[in-house]
Amino acid sequence: MSPSRTVSVLRNRAAMAEELRRLLPKLEGLHKARPLPFGVADIDRCLPQGGLPGAALHEIVPEGGSASAAFGFMVALLARMARSHPIVLVLPNYRLRHYGRPYSHGIRALGLDPGRLILAGTSHRKQTLWALEEALRARAVAAVAGAVDTLDLKSSQRLQLAATDAGVPLLLLRPADILEASAAATRWRVAPAPAVRDRFGLIAQARWRLMLERCRNGRAGEWIVEYDHVTHRFSLAAALADPAHAGGAGETSFQRAG
Amino acid sequence: MLAAQAKHPSSEPVDPHAPFVLTLTASGGPRLAALNAAAEAAGLTLGQPLADARAKAGFLQARESNPAADAAALRRLALWATRYTPTASPWHADNGADGFFLDIEGAAHLFGGEEKLLADLAARLHENFGLPARLAVAGTSGAAWALSRFHAEPCIALASGGEAAALSPLPVEALRLPPDTCATLRRLGFKTVGALLDKPRAPFAARFPAELLRRVDQALGRLDEPLVPVVPPPVYHVLRYLLEPIITQQAVLALARRLMNTLVHVLARDDVGARALRLSLYHVDGAVETVDVGLTLPTRDVAHVARLLDLKLETLAAMQEAGFGFEAIGLAVTRAEPVPARQLKLDVGRHPEVRAQRASKEDGRSVLSSFEGHLRWSPQDDDNVERCAALIDTLRGRLGPHSVRQFVPVASHNPERAEILPPINGEMSASWPEPEQPRPLLILPRAERAEVTALVPDGPPRRFCWRGVTYDVTGAEGPERIGAEWWRRNDGHRTPEPTRDYYLVEDSGGRRFWLFREGLYGRETAPARWFVHGLFA
Repeated sequence: MSPSRTVSVLRNRAAMAEELRRLLPKLEGLHKARPLPFGVADIDRCLPQGGLPGAALHEIVPEGGSASAAFGFMVALLARMARSHPIVLVLPNYRLRHYGRPYSHGIRALGLDPGRLILAGTSHRKQTLWALEEALRARAVAAVAGAVDTLDLKSSQRLQLAATDAGVPLLLLRPADILEASAAATRWRVAPAPAVRDRFGLIAQARWRLMLERCRNGRAGEWIVEYDHVTHRFSLAAALADPAHAGGAGETSFQRAG
Repeated sequence: MLAAQAKHPSSEPVDPHAPFVLTLTASGGPRLAALNAAAEAAGLTLGQPLADARAKAGFLQARESNPAADAAALRRLALWATRYTPTASPWHADNGADGFFLDIEGAAHLFGGEEKLLADLAARLHENFGLPARLAVAGTSGAAWALSRFHAEPCIALASGGEAAALSPLPVEALRLPPDTCATLRRLGFKTVGALLDKPRAPFAARFPAELLRRVDQALGRLDEPLVPVVPPPVYHVLRYLLEPIITQQAVLALARRLMNTLVHVLARDDVGARALRLSLYHVDGAVETVDVGLTLPTRDVAHVARLLDLKLETLAAMQEAGFGFEAIGLAVTRAEPVPARQLKLDVGRHPEVRAQRASKEDGRSVLSSFEGHLRWSPQDDDNVERCAALIDTLRGRLGPHSVRQFVPVASHNPERAEILPPINGEMSASWPEPEQPRPLLILPRAERAEVTALVPDGPPRRFCWRGVTYDVTGAEGPERIGAEWWRRNDGHRTPEPTRDYYLVEDSGGRRFWLFREGLYGRETAPARWFVHGLFA
C-alpha cells in the first residue's frame, strides 16, 4: 500500500474501520474459501462472516465420554462440503482398537458417500501431522479430516497456515484430556444428547450438544442440534430454540410432527 | 573364474600365491570345482578328486564351494553391469554360471565403440572387484561365449558376420555342449568347431541330441537365443556417469531431476507417461542400490517424481552410508502407459467480465443449504484428478502402499463382511446403497463382551456393563436378526457362527450403542452372551 493511500485512510475514522474490516479477512485467509454456513441462524451469528471459515483449522473435542458423537459431527460437516471432490481422512492406526474404526455403512447413514474418502493410516504422531499437511497442500480435496492426540502450538500454527494457503478446511478430532493452546479458528465440544424419536419411538435423527468453546473473530455459544442426513441440514432442537428466533426450529418440529 | 573369487569372510585368509581350490561334493568324495593360477601351475585339473590333488600338490588350501553364494555374487555383478546396458543376463548352469551376457546393441557407441567399452569394462572389473576378466563381443551370444572362453586374446571384438570363421579353430567345447557329447565328438575325430561346420547336418541330427545342432545354430545366429535379464529391462532408461562421486541426498535428487527432464521429452514424444520408475544408484565400490516408485496415474511431471524419490531416499539406509558415494545414477521407466487425452480448457471463469457477471448473480442467491461450490474448481477438472493422484502417490510413498485405502461395499448381511478396505487404486468406487437398518458410525475391530441385564432372556437389554462402565438403557430398538451365512460353512469341522440379534441401545446420557446377543435363545446357546459391536453418532 502506498503511503499517500495510508494517510487518506487515516483521515477518517469510519473509513479506517471500514478498510480494516475489508483487510481483516485477507489477513486471516478468509477470502480463499467461502464460509460454510450451518443454516441455523443462531449458530451462524456466532461465526465470523456467518459461517465456519472455509480455509482454517477446526478442532472437535469429544465430550460426555463418547468419541462417536464428535466423529459423527465431523462426518456431518464433511457431508456438507463440495460433493465432487474426495476427502482425506487421516487416522492413527494405533487408536483404532480403542475407539473402533469408521464403518462405511454408518458413514453412509450420515449422508456422506464413503467412496469419496481416502483413508490414510499412520503409525505415529509425526506421520499424522505430515499426512495432514501434505493432504492440505495438494489442493486436490474438498476437505481434510483427521485425529491427533497431542498437538503443540507450533504444529497447530503450521496446520492452520497450510489450510489457509490451500483454501481447504481441516477438521481435527482431539481427545478431551490433553488440550494445549492452539491456533485453530474454532474449537467445538460435542456431546451426545438423547436422540430425536419419531411417533413410533424409533430413533429418527442424531442429536448432539454443541459447545463452541473458542471462535476467532466470533463468539462462543452452546446449542443442541439435530442433523438430518438426507437433506444435510442442521437444525436446533425444539426445546432449546430461542422463541425470538424460532424460525428454523419451528419448521423442524413441524417436519417431525408430520 | 568367479567361483574361485567367492569370499569366505569367516574362515582364515587365503594366500593367493599358493595353490587354492574350491571343492564340490560328488560321488566318491569331494572333487575340485575351481582352482587358482598357482594350483593350475601345480598340475591340478578340474574334476580331480581332492585326495589326488592333495597328494600331487603337497600344500593345498581347499574350501568347499558355495553355489548359492556364487549365484548371488554373479547376480550382483550383473546388476552392476546394467550401467552399460539395461539388459544384463547372468549365466545359468548350462552356460557355466561364471559370467554374464550384456546386450550392447545400441549402447556401445555411448562408450566410444565396442573396443572402448570392453577396455572400460575390463578396467572396472579389475579395479572394483579385482577380477581378471575375459571379454568378447560378437554378433551372437553363443559366439561371444565361445570367444571369451577359448580365444587367445582376453578381450576381443568380433565384427558381425565373422562368427563361422572365428569359431572354426576353436575346440568343440566352445559350443556349450554337455561333457559326454564333447567326448563322443572327440572320439569320432571332431576336435574343432570347424570340423563340424563342414559336415552335412542330417547324420548329426540322427545320432546326437538335438542340443548339438541347436547350439551350432545359436552360435552362428541361425537361431535366436533370448537373454533372460537380471532385472526386467525398462521401457525408457537414462544413465549418467559422474566425474566426481556424489554423496548427499540433495545432489542425488538434483541429478535425478535432470534425468527425469531428459526422459520427459522421450515420454512426450511417444505420448505416454510413467507408471513405475526405478532409480539405480551405482556405488563407487560396485554395489548397486535401486529405488522403485509407483504412480497412481501415468505422469510426466518432473517435480512430482522428484518429490516421490525424495521421500523414498529419506528412508533408504544407503543414503546414510553412502561411503565413497555414487559414481553413476540411472533412471528408468519400467512401466509406461498412455496418458489419457486431455482437452485443454479455455478458462472462461478467469475472465474479468464473466467474473463480474457471476458476482452480481451470486448476490441475489440465497444461502445454499450445502457448502457445495465453495471450492474454486469445477467437478470435472482433470487437473484435480491429477493432483489427487499425486497426493495418493505421496501418501503411499511415506506411509506405505497398504496404508492408503478406500472403502468398497460388499453385498453381505454380515456387518464385518459388508465392506472391505483395499489399497486405493486411483478410481473412486461405485455408488453406495443407503442402509435400511441402523448401522453404527464406529465399529469395534472385535466385538467386545458386555455384561447385560435384561427383563426376559430374549428381550432387549435394560442395563449393561462394558469396559468397566455401567450404562442405564433408556431406549432400545431391535432386534435385527442377522443369521450366519450358511454358504460359508463348507470348511467342515468348524462350527457355524451363531445367529446374532442386534439392538440399537441408547443410554441416559444419549450415547448410542450397537449390541448383539449371540445365538438363538434356547436353540443355539443356553446362557445369553452379549457383545458391544459398534457406536452410533
